[in-house]
Amino acid sequence: MTTSEDTQKINPRSPQPKKRSAWYLLTGMVLGFALGLMYTWWINPVVYESSDPSSMREDYKDTYRSTIAQVYAVTGNLDRAARRLELLEDESLIYSLGAQAQRALAEGKEELAHDLALLASALQAGSAEPTMIPIATTTATSEAVPTQTLPPLTPVP
Amino acid sequence: MARRTRRIIFFSFAILAGLAAGMIFGWEVMPVQYKDTGSDTLRQDYKTDYVLMVAELYEHEVDDAMAMERLAYISPEPPLETVQAAIAYAEKNDYSSSDLQLMLNLAFAMEEFSATGISEGMS
Repeated sequence: MTTSEDTQKINPRSPQPKKRSAWYLLTGMVLGFALGLMYTWWINPVVYESSDPSSMREDYKDTYRSTIAQVYAVTGNLDRAARRLELLEDESLIYSLGAQAQRALAEGKEELAHDLALLASALQAGSAEPTMIPIATTTATSEAVPTQTLPPLTPVP
Repeated sequence: MARRTRRIIFFSFAILAGLAAGMIFGWEVMPVQYKDTGSDTLRQDYKTDYVLMVAELYEHEVDDAMAMERLAYISPEPPLETVQAAIAYAEKNDYSSSDLQLMLNLAFAMEEFSATGISEGMS
């Protein structure tokens, strides 16, 4: 018989109830948290009914941009056009207009391409920093759509 | 109270506390973000500005069908209702009289166009 067994026999511990840990509380909270997330993200998520133009999908943004350019072409109100374009939060207003003008030209929408290019040119002329318009070049860059050159611009009356 | 019953009650409270925390997190702290929304979810002031753009174009083009097509871009509602909602917002927010007039002209055109369309459909 070993020494440890002797010790157990000599000093038998009185049976005490096991002290249960509070882990079950944490488990409950985690379970509840997961259920809460499931409810708020999948079952009943926040519904946005009042979004802004910058959150729109790209094709919607293109339509919005086209309309701004068309309005500018008929009204010549550059200040208003610039403020409207800023709502789209493009990294570069001029570049976005130029790139879209290229796409429009490639699709055969010459009038729209003209309007977009007209607004891009007006913004470029109005901005302090010289910015490159991708459509103004005859040689294609990696980012600009390599197609034709735009029809000549006519000044807004 | 029996030990087991007490544990069940505490466990239920823990789940409720977690659920509340999860809902606050999911709705307030980190709600679902929509990045690619459509134009029909635009806030009313943006919609009003878009209707104004359509009205500005209509003033020059006088093209009912094109105006209707453009208005359909921001709302599935009938075009006249879209324009009327925009006018109501513009009146409430002190838009300039010239802008209001443009939208009123568009509303009148849409009203006429709708009436013509209905009468043509009935004949």
